[in-house]
Amino acid sequence: MERAEPPAAAYERRVLRSGAQHCYLRVQLELPDGAARPGAPQLKQLVVTALRELHGEVGAALPVDVLAYEEKSLCAILRVISSGFVKLWSALTLQGFYQSRRCAFRVLQTSPFLLALAGNSRELLLD
Amino acid sequence: MVRFKNRYVLCELLADDPRCRRCIEDRAVGLAVRDAIARAHGDYGLGRCCVSFTVKYLNAYTGTVLLRCRKDCRQLLSSALPLVRNLESRGQRFPCALRTLHVGGTIRTCQKFLIQYNRRQLLLLLRNCANEEERRSVRQAVLSCSIAEEQAQSGEEEEEEEEDGTETD
Repeated sequence: MERAEPPAAAYERRVLRSGAQHCYLRVQLELPDGAARPGAPQLKQLVVTALRELHGEVGAALPVDVLAYEEKSLCAILRVISSGFVKLWSALTLQGFYQSRRCAFRVLQTSPFLLALAGNSRELLLD
Repeated sequence: MVRFKNRYVLCELLADDPRCRRCIEDRAVGLAVRDAIARAHGDYGLGRCCVSFTVKYLNAYTGTVLLRCRKDCRQLLSSALPLVRNLESRGQRFPCALRTLHVGGTIRTCQKFLIQYNRRQLLLLLRNCANEEERRSVRQAVLSCSIAEEQAQSGEEEEEEEEDGTETD
Protein backbone atom coordinates (compact mmCIF):
# COMPACT_ATOMS: atom_id res chain seq x y z
CA MET A 1 0.00 0.00 0.00
CA GLU A 2 1.60 3.28 -1.08
CA ARG A 3 1.46 6.08 1.46
CA ALA A 4 3.10 9.46 1.61
CA GLU A 5 6.50 9.19 3.27
CA PRO A 6 6.16 10.12 6.93
CA PRO A 7 8.73 12.55 8.32
CA ALA A 8 11.89 10.74 9.41
CA ALA A 9 10.77 8.48 12.25
CA ALA A 10 12.89 7.70 15.26
CA TYR A 11 11.73 4.08 15.45
CA GLU A 12 9.89 1.54 13.41
CA ARG A 13 7.25 -0.82 14.73
CA ARG A 14 6.48 -4.14 13.08
CA VAL A 15 3.63 -6.38 14.13
CA LEU A 16 3.68 -10.02 13.08
CA ARG A 17 0.39 -11.85 13.35
CA SER A 18 1.78 -15.34 13.44
CA GLY A 19 5.32 -14.71 14.60
CA ALA A 20 5.31 -16.77 17.77
CA GLN A 21 6.14 -20.43 17.68
CA HIS A 22 3.89 -21.52 20.54
CA CYS A 23 0.49 -20.50 21.81
CA TYR A 24 -0.41 -20.66 25.49
CA LEU A 25 -3.87 -21.33 26.89
CA ARG A 26 -5.16 -21.09 30.40
CA VAL A 27 -8.01 -23.54 30.76
CA GLN A 28 -10.22 -24.66 33.58
CA LEU A 29 -11.81 -28.06 33.75
CA GLU A 30 -15.37 -28.15 35.08
CA LEU A 31 -16.69 -31.38 36.54
CA PRO A 32 -20.32 -30.79 37.51
CA ASP A 33 -21.09 -34.43 38.25
CA GLY A 34 -18.33 -34.79 40.80
CA ALA A 35 -15.89 -37.09 39.05
CA ALA A 36 -12.53 -37.80 40.66
CA ARG A 37 -10.20 -34.88 40.13
CA PRO A 38 -7.56 -35.75 37.54
CA GLY A 39 -3.87 -35.34 38.24
CA ALA A 40 -1.47 -33.76 35.75
CA PRO A 41 -0.79 -36.97 33.75
CA GLN A 42 -4.51 -37.72 33.61
CA LEU A 43 -5.19 -34.22 32.34
CA LYS A 44 -2.62 -34.65 29.58
CA GLN A 45 -4.19 -37.98 28.70
CA LEU A 46 -7.60 -36.31 28.52
CA VAL A 47 -6.29 -33.59 26.22
CA VAL A 48 -4.57 -36.09 23.92
CA THR A 49 -7.69 -38.27 23.85
CA ALA A 50 -9.78 -35.27 22.89
CA LEU A 51 -7.36 -34.47 20.06
CA ARG A 52 -7.36 -38.07 18.89
CA GLU A 53 -11.15 -38.24 18.74
CA LEU A 54 -11.57 -35.06 16.76
CA HIS A 55 -8.39 -34.92 14.69
CA GLY A 56 -7.16 -38.51 14.61
CA GLU A 57 -3.60 -39.72 14.97
CA VAL A 58 -2.27 -36.56 13.33
CA GLY A 59 -4.00 -34.46 15.98
CA ALA A 60 -2.90 -36.68 18.83
CA ALA A 61 0.70 -36.25 17.70
CA LEU A 62 0.56 -32.47 18.17
CA PRO A 63 3.17 -31.30 20.67
CA VAL A 64 0.97 -30.25 23.59
CA ASP A 65 2.46 -29.61 27.04
CA VAL A 66 0.84 -29.05 30.40
CA LEU A 67 3.08 -26.35 31.84
CA ALA A 68 1.26 -25.83 35.12
CA TYR A 69 -1.65 -27.53 36.80
CA GLU A 70 -3.47 -26.79 40.01
CA GLU A 71 -5.48 -29.77 41.14
CA LYS A 72 -7.54 -27.80 43.66
CA SER A 73 -8.96 -25.35 41.15
CA LEU A 74 -8.55 -27.65 38.12
CA CYS A 75 -6.79 -24.82 36.31
CA ALA A 76 -4.02 -25.59 33.83
CA ILE A 77 -1.71 -23.78 31.45
CA LEU A 78 -1.25 -25.59 28.14
CA ARG A 79 1.27 -24.88 25.47
CA VAL A 80 0.81 -25.90 21.86
CA ILE A 81 2.60 -25.19 18.65
CA SER A 82 0.94 -22.31 16.80
CA SER A 83 -0.17 -24.35 13.81
CA GLY A 84 -2.11 -26.68 16.09
CA PHE A 85 -3.83 -23.97 18.12
CA VAL A 86 -7.19 -24.20 16.37
CA LYS A 87 -7.11 -28.01 16.52
CA LEU A 88 -6.43 -28.00 20.25
CA TRP A 89 -9.10 -25.45 21.09
CA SER A 90 -11.72 -27.20 18.98
CA ALA A 91 -10.84 -30.56 20.54
CA LEU A 92 -11.10 -29.13 24.06
CA THR A 93 -14.46 -27.57 23.21
CA LEU A 94 -15.90 -30.87 22.03
CA GLN A 95 -14.59 -33.00 24.86
CA GLY A 96 -17.67 -33.76 26.91
CA PHE A 97 -16.82 -36.72 29.10
CA TYR A 98 -14.15 -37.63 31.60
CA GLN A 99 -14.41 -41.19 32.93
CA SER A 100 -17.99 -41.30 31.67
CA ARG A 101 -18.98 -38.25 33.70
CA ARG A 102 -19.76 -34.90 32.15
CA CYS A 103 -16.96 -32.39 31.92
CA ALA A 104 -16.28 -29.09 30.18
CA PHE A 105 -13.14 -27.17 29.34
CA ARG A 106 -13.44 -23.43 29.84
CA VAL A 107 -10.70 -21.49 28.05
CA LEU A 108 -9.95 -18.46 30.22
CA GLN A 109 -7.04 -16.82 28.40
CA THR A 110 -4.93 -17.45 25.36
CA SER A 111 -1.84 -15.64 24.18
CA PRO A 112 1.28 -16.20 22.13
CA PHE A 113 3.24 -14.95 25.13
CA LEU A 114 3.35 -16.80 28.42
CA LEU A 115 3.83 -13.62 30.43
CA ALA A 116 0.52 -12.31 29.20
CA LEU A 117 -1.27 -15.07 31.11
CA ALA A 118 0.01 -13.67 34.39
CA GLY A 119 -2.51 -10.84 34.49
CA ASN A 120 -6.16 -11.23 33.73
CA SER A 121 -8.30 -8.13 33.70
CA ARG A 122 -11.44 -10.24 33.96
CA GLU A 123 -10.47 -11.46 37.38
CA LEU A 124 -9.36 -8.05 38.54
CA LEU A 125 -10.93 -7.04 41.83
CA LEU A 126 -11.36 -3.36 42.28
CA ASP A 127 -11.31 -2.26 45.87
CA MET B 1 -16.84 -19.25 -12.52
CA VAL B 2 -17.32 -20.72 -9.12
CA ARG B 3 -17.67 -24.46 -9.08
CA PHE B 4 -16.67 -27.43 -6.96
CA LYS B 5 -13.31 -28.73 -8.12
CA ASN B 6 -12.49 -32.38 -7.59
CA ARG B 7 -9.30 -34.33 -7.55
CA TYR B 8 -9.12 -37.87 -8.83
CA VAL B 9 -6.51 -40.08 -7.17
CA LEU B 10 -5.44 -43.09 -9.21
CA CYS B 11 -4.12 -45.93 -7.05
CA GLU B 12 -3.02 -49.50 -7.44
CA LEU B 13 -4.14 -52.12 -4.96
CA LEU B 14 -1.31 -54.47 -4.05
CA ALA B 15 -2.10 -57.74 -2.35
CA ASP B 16 -0.08 -60.88 -1.74
CA ASP B 17 -3.00 -63.23 -1.58
CA PRO B 18 -4.45 -64.21 -4.98
CA ARG B 19 -7.83 -64.89 -3.35
CA CYS B 20 -8.03 -61.19 -2.55
CA ARG B 21 -8.85 -60.42 -6.19
CA ARG B 22 -12.29 -61.90 -5.81
CA CYS B 23 -13.33 -59.69 -2.96
CA ILE B 24 -12.14 -56.40 -4.43
CA GLU B 25 -15.30 -54.39 -4.81
CA ASP B 26 -15.93 -50.66 -4.68
CA ARG B 27 -17.86 -50.72 -1.42
CA ALA B 28 -15.12 -52.65 0.38
CA VAL B 29 -12.39 -50.33 -0.90
CA GLY B 30 -14.47 -47.25 -0.06
CA LEU B 31 -15.05 -48.46 3.49
CA ALA B 32 -11.37 -49.29 3.95
CA VAL B 33 -10.28 -45.82 2.81
CA ARG B 34 -12.95 -44.12 4.96
CA ASP B 35 -11.76 -46.11 7.94
CA ALA B 36 -8.16 -45.06 7.31
CA ILE B 37 -9.17 -41.38 7.07
CA ALA B 38 -11.09 -41.66 10.35
CA ARG B 39 -8.07 -43.17 12.06
CA ALA B 40 -5.60 -40.66 10.65
CA HIS B 41 -7.63 -37.45 10.80
CA GLY B 42 -10.44 -38.13 13.24
CA ASP B 43 -14.06 -37.08 13.04
CA TYR B 44 -13.19 -33.72 11.55
CA GLY B 45 -11.11 -35.19 8.74
CA LEU B 46 -13.71 -37.84 8.02
CA GLY B 47 -16.47 -35.27 7.79
CA ARG B 48 -14.43 -33.04 5.51
CA CYS B 49 -13.18 -35.70 3.12
CA CYS B 50 -16.34 -37.72 2.75
CA VAL B 51 -18.42 -34.85 1.37
CA SER B 52 -17.62 -35.84 -2.18
CA PHE B 53 -15.74 -39.07 -1.73
CA THR B 54 -16.52 -42.04 -3.99
CA VAL B 55 -14.76 -44.85 -5.71
CA LYS B 56 -15.24 -43.87 -9.32
CA TYR B 57 -13.62 -46.81 -11.07
CA LEU B 58 -12.34 -50.17 -9.97
CA ASN B 59 -10.69 -52.95 -11.91
CA ALA B 60 -10.33 -56.15 -9.93
CA TYR B 61 -8.02 -57.82 -12.44
CA THR B 62 -5.36 -55.13 -12.42
CA GLY B 63 -6.16 -53.67 -9.00
CA THR B 64 -6.65 -50.16 -10.37
CA VAL B 65 -8.74 -47.87 -8.19
CA LEU B 66 -9.86 -44.33 -8.99
CA LEU B 67 -10.99 -42.25 -6.01
CA ARG B 68 -12.63 -38.85 -6.12
CA CYS B 69 -12.47 -36.17 -3.43
CA ARG B 70 -12.75 -32.42 -3.14
CA LYS B 71 -9.72 -30.35 -4.10
CA ASP B 72 -9.30 -28.90 -0.58
CA CYS B 73 -9.03 -32.23 1.15
CA ARG B 74 -6.87 -34.02 -1.36
CA GLN B 75 -3.94 -33.89 1.02
CA LEU B 76 -5.97 -35.43 3.84
CA LEU B 77 -6.93 -38.28 1.56
CA SER B 78 -3.43 -38.80 0.19
CA SER B 79 -1.91 -38.88 3.64
CA ALA B 80 -4.43 -41.46 4.81
CA LEU B 81 -3.98 -43.87 1.86
CA PRO B 82 -0.78 -45.49 3.22
CA LEU B 83 -2.73 -46.42 6.35
CA VAL B 84 -5.06 -48.75 4.45
CA ARG B 85 -3.87 -52.14 5.65
CA ASN B 86 -6.77 -54.56 5.25
CA LEU B 87 -9.59 -55.07 2.85
CA GLU B 88 -12.72 -56.58 4.35
CA SER B 89 -15.55 -58.06 2.40
CA ARG B 90 -17.98 -60.92 2.93
CA GLY B 91 -16.57 -61.63 6.35
CA GLN B 92 -12.99 -62.08 5.10
CA ARG B 93 -10.05 -59.86 5.69
CA PHE B 94 -7.00 -59.64 3.44
CA PRO B 95 -3.88 -57.58 3.97
CA CYS B 96 -3.33 -55.12 1.16
CA ALA B 97 -1.67 -51.82 0.31
CA LEU B 98 -2.67 -48.88 -1.86
CA ARG B 99 -0.03 -47.29 -4.02
CA THR B 100 -0.77 -43.85 -5.49
CA LEU B 101 0.02 -43.65 -9.18
CA HIS B 102 -1.39 -40.31 -10.24
CA VAL B 103 -3.49 -37.40 -9.07
CA GLY B 104 -5.49 -35.62 -11.71
CA GLY B 105 -8.11 -32.96 -11.97
CA THR B 106 -10.39 -34.90 -14.31
CA ILE B 107 -11.16 -38.51 -15.10
CA ARG B 108 -9.85 -37.98 -18.61
CA THR B 109 -6.32 -37.06 -17.51
CA CYS B 110 -6.25 -40.05 -15.19
CA GLN B 111 -7.36 -42.27 -18.05
CA LYS B 112 -4.60 -40.92 -20.30
CA PHE B 113 -2.05 -41.57 -17.61
CA LEU B 114 -3.40 -45.06 -17.01
CA ILE B 115 -3.09 -45.98 -20.68
CA GLN B 116 0.55 -44.84 -20.78
CA TYR B 117 1.28 -46.57 -17.50
CA ASN B 118 -0.22 -49.84 -18.65
CA ARG B 119 1.82 -49.72 -21.86
CA ARG B 120 5.00 -49.33 -19.83
CA GLN B 121 3.94 -52.12 -17.48
CA LEU B 122 3.43 -54.48 -20.39
CA LEU B 123 6.95 -53.82 -21.62
CA LEU B 124 8.30 -54.44 -18.13
CA LEU B 125 6.36 -57.67 -17.87
CA LEU B 126 7.75 -58.82 -21.18
CA ARG B 127 11.27 -58.06 -20.03
CA ASN B 128 10.83 -59.88 -16.73
CA CYS B 129 9.54 -63.06 -18.29
CA ALA B 130 11.45 -66.09 -17.06
CA ASN B 131 11.35 -68.30 -20.12
CA GLU B 132 10.52 -68.21 -23.79
CA GLU B 133 7.10 -69.78 -23.38
CA GLU B 134 5.87 -67.09 -21.01
CA ARG B 135 7.26 -64.48 -23.34
CA ARG B 136 5.39 -65.96 -26.25
CA SER B 137 2.11 -66.15 -24.34
CA VAL B 138 2.38 -62.53 -23.17
CA ARG B 139 3.16 -61.36 -26.69
CA GLN B 140 0.24 -63.29 -28.04
CA ALA B 141 -2.14 -61.89 -25.44
CA VAL B 142 -1.07 -58.34 -26.24
CA LEU B 143 -1.42 -58.83 -29.97
CA SER B 144 -4.79 -60.48 -29.65
CA CYS B 145 -6.59 -57.75 -27.70
CA SER B 146 -8.24 -55.24 -29.91
CA ILE B 147 -10.91 -52.56 -29.72
CA ALA B 148 -13.11 -54.33 -32.22
CA GLU B 149 -16.79 -54.19 -31.38
CA GLU B 150 -17.56 -57.88 -31.53
CA GLN B 151 -15.38 -58.46 -28.47
CA ALA B 152 -16.67 -57.41 -25.09
CA GLN B 153 -13.44 -55.64 -24.11
CA SER B 154 -13.79 -51.92 -23.39
CA GLY B 155 -11.58 -49.54 -25.29
CA GLU B 156 -10.02 -47.97 -22.18
CA GLU B 157 -8.11 -50.93 -20.88
CA GLU B 158 -5.99 -52.33 -23.64
CA GLU B 159 -4.05 -54.72 -21.50
CA GLU B 160 -4.60 -58.12 -20.03
CA GLU B 161 -2.28 -58.58 -17.15
CA GLU B 162 -1.32 -62.15 -16.55
CA GLU B 163 -0.19 -63.63 -13.29
CA ASP B 164 3.42 -63.97 -14.25
CA GLY B 165 6.07 -64.94 -11.81
CA THR B 166 7.30 -61.46 -11.03
CA GLU B 167 4.93 -58.79 -9.78
CA THR B 168 6.14 -55.32 -10.60
CA ASP B 169 6.38 -53.01 -7.65
